[in-house]
Amino acid sequence: MNVAPLALYTAAMAAYAWHFAQRNPAVGRAATTMLVAGALAHTFVIGMLTMEIGQVPMAGATSAISTFVWLLALAYLYTEMTTDERAMGVFILPLLVLLQAIPAIRPIETRAAVLQGPLFGIHVSSLLFAYASFALACVIGITYVLLFKEIKAKHLGFFYARLPSLQVLDRMNQRAIVIGWIFLTLGLIVGFIFAAQARGGYGSGDPRVQAMSLMDPKIFVALVCWVVYSFELFGARRIGWGGRRTAYLSLLGFVIVLLNFVPISYFFSKSHNF
Amino acid sequence: MHLLLVGVSHRTAPVEVRERVDFQARGVAEALGVLASRGSTREAVVLSTCNRAELYVACDDVQPTRDDLVGFVGDFHGLAHADLAPHVYDVSDLDAARHLFRVAAGLDSLVVGEPQILGQVKEAHSVATEAHTVGPVLNRLFHSSFAVGKRVRTETGLGSGAVSVSYAAVALARKIFGDLTGRNVLVVGAGEMGKLTALHMKSQGVHHMTIISRTMAHAARTAEAIGGASAAPWDELDASLGASDIVITATGASAPILTKAHIEGVMRRRRSRPLFIIDIALPRDVESAAGEIEQVFLYNIDDLQATVRENLARRASEMVRAEAIVAEEIDKFGAWFRSRGAIPTVVALRQRFEAIRQAELERLDFKLSALPPEARTRVDEITHLIVEKLLLTPTEQLKAVGDADTVGAYTEALTRLFGLPEEGDAERTDTVEPFNPERRNRPRSR
Repeated sequence: MNVAPLALYTAAMAAYAWHFAQRNPAVGRAATTMLVAGALAHTFVIGMLTMEIGQVPMAGATSAISTFVWLLALAYLYTEMTTDERAMGVFILPLLVLLQAIPAIRPIETRAAVLQGPLFGIHVSSLLFAYASFALACVIGITYVLLFKEIKAKHLGFFYARLPSLQVLDRMNQRAIVIGWIFLTLGLIVGFIFAAQARGGYGSGDPRVQAMSLMDPKIFVALVCWVVYSFELFGARRIGWGGRRTAYLSLLGFVIVLLNFVPISYFFSKSHNF
Repeated sequence: MHLLLVGVSHRTAPVEVRERVDFQARGVAEALGVLASRGSTREAVVLSTCNRAELYVACDDVQPTRDDLVGFVGDFHGLAHADLAPHVYDVSDLDAARHLFRVAAGLDSLVVGEPQILGQVKEAHSVATEAHTVGPVLNRLFHSSFAVGKRVRTETGLGSGAVSVSYAAVALARKIFGDLTGRNVLVVGAGEMGKLTALHMKSQGVHHMTIISRTMAHAARTAEAIGGASAAPWDELDASLGASDIVITATGASAPILTKAHIEGVMRRRRSRPLFIIDIALPRDVESAAGEIEQVFLYNIDDLQATVRENLARRASEMVRAEAIVAEEIDKFGAWFRSRGAIPTVVALRQRFEAIRQAELERLDFKLSALPPEARTRVDEITHLIVEKLLLTPTEQLKAVGDADTVGAYTEALTRLFGLPEEGDAERTDTVEPFNPERRNRPRSR
C-alpha cells in the first residue's frame, strides 16, 4: 500500500532535480503536482490504515516512518507554497523517497496493547512533527552552507543563481527550528508522563515499559537531540555562532534524529521498540 | 503579403548615425503617420531605442517598399541617402520575424540578455496600435515576439547575473541580505567611485547611509550630493562599522585602513550579523585576509569584475538555448504565416465564383425582370448562399494548411482548375490598395 506514494515521490524527485538544473517553470509546476499527488495518495494510505486499526498508524517504527514522511511532505509543500521557493525540493525529495522505501517494503506492525490513550497519541505525533520540522531545517541549512561557500569563495555559480538569499534561508531555518523545538519539548514531556502512568497502570505487565529509563538508547539520544537544538536556539547566536555554524548545527541535529529514527529504533533500543 | 524589416543598429552603424535616426526625438507616432501616408506599406511598427531604429512593415512587394523605407528614414531625419544607405540592413518574411524574435529575446542587444529591450518592443507595438498602423500580420508577429522574450527570460539564464561592477555589488548584497530596505550602508572615503556605488545602493532603498572621510567637510559634501545620507567624523569609524551591514571603501589611502584584526574586533561586537565589504579602492583599503573572518564577505574591485566576466561568459553559453527557443517559435509563426500564402488564391476563387454568379444573373435578367421585386431579392440571396456553401469547405481546408509546399500545390491546382489569374496578377489586379487613412481601422482580409 505504501508503494503508490513511493512511486509518486520518486517521480517528483526526478522532476524537482530536472527543474533545479534547467529552471523550466513548467517542469517545476509538474514537480509540485506530482508531489501533491504523492502526498494525497499517502494521505489515502494513512487514512485506510487508520480505519483498519482504529488509530493513526504511528505506533511502531515502520508506521511512524511512513507518517513522518507524510508530515514532511505536507510541511515542505506548505513551505513551498508560502515562500514560492522550489529550490529546496531537490534536497527534500531524496529524503522522502529513501525513508518511504522502508514502509514500502516492510509490513506495518500490529499495535502493542500498552500503546493507547491520548497521551501516547500526543507523544508520537508531536515528535514526528518536530522531526519533520528538523528535516526541513536541515535541508535549509544545507542550502545555506552551499550558498555561503559560493559567496565566500567568490565563485558565483550554480547555487547562487538558484537559491534565495542567505538572510531568507537563515530566517526559514530559524523558524523551522523554533517550531521543531516546541514540539520536541512537548513530545518528550508527554512521553515521560505517559511512561510513568503506564508503568503504574495498564503497562505494568509489559517488561519493556518497566525497563524504560533515560539509559535506553532511543530515549537518551532523543535527549541529546533536545540539548543540541536548545543550544542552537538559545545559545549559538549569543556566542556569535550565527549563519553557517547554526546551519551546521541543524545538520548535526537532524543526523542524530535520523539515527534515532531508523537504526536505533530497529536494532538497538531494548525498551522503546514497539 | 510580405514581412519586411529595414533598420539601423549598433551592429551596422556608428553612434553618429544612430543618434541621427532616433525616432524618439520627433516621436514614433508622428513617424508612423508620415510612413502610413506614403502608401507603400499595409502595416507598420517603428522600434526605436538608443541602439537601434527598425521599421517592421507588412507590404505587397519587397523591393520597392524597401527602397521607399530607406527613402522615408532619410527624408524623416533629413539624412542624405549616401550617408544612410551603407548602414541599413533589410530582411524579409521569416528572416524578419527571426530578427525581431532575437531582438525581443535580448540576443541582438549590445549587452546580451539585457532586460529593457522586451519592454521597448512592447512599447513600439502599443504606440503603433494606437496609431492604427498594426494589422493582423504585425499583431501576430509582435505577440509572438513577446512570448519569445518571456520564454527566454524564464527558461534560460540569458538575462541572469549582473554585467556591470556596481550592479554586481548590489546583486551580491541582495543575495546576502535579501531585501536591502532596512539595511545600513557605510561609505568610507568621499571620492567619486564611492559616491557612484553609494547612489546605486541608495536606489535599492537602503535604510540609512553614512559617509565617513578623513576630512569631515568632504564627507559632508558627499553626503549632501547623495541626498538623505549623513556624514560622520573619522574617529567614529569603529562605531559605524558596528552598526552597518554593507561597507563600501573607496579612499585614496596608500595602505589598508582596515586590517583583519581591526575587523575581527568589530565582528565580536556584532555577534553573528554578516558584514559585506565592497572594497573598490585601488590600492585596496581592506586587508584581503579579513575575508577569512566568518560572516565577513569581502569583495574587491577585481572580484567584482571577475563575477561580471563570469556572468558574461554564462550568458554566452545560454545563447544556444535561447536560439533554440527562437527557432521553435519561428516554426510556429512560420506555419501561420505560410498559411496566409493561400489567402490570395482564396480571394481569387471567391471573386471567380461571384463573377460567374453575377454573369448568370445578368444573362437571365430579362426572365427575372418578370418576377416581383421580393422574388428577385430571394433569387439573389439563394444564389449567393449556394456560392458561399460551395466555397466553405475549400476555404477552410486552404487556411488550415501549415507548410509552404502543400499551400503551393493547392493554390496551383486551384489556379489551373478554375482558371484563376496567376498569383502575381491576382495581387496586382484587385488586392493592392494604396494606404488609405480612412480605411486603416478596418481589418483587411484578402
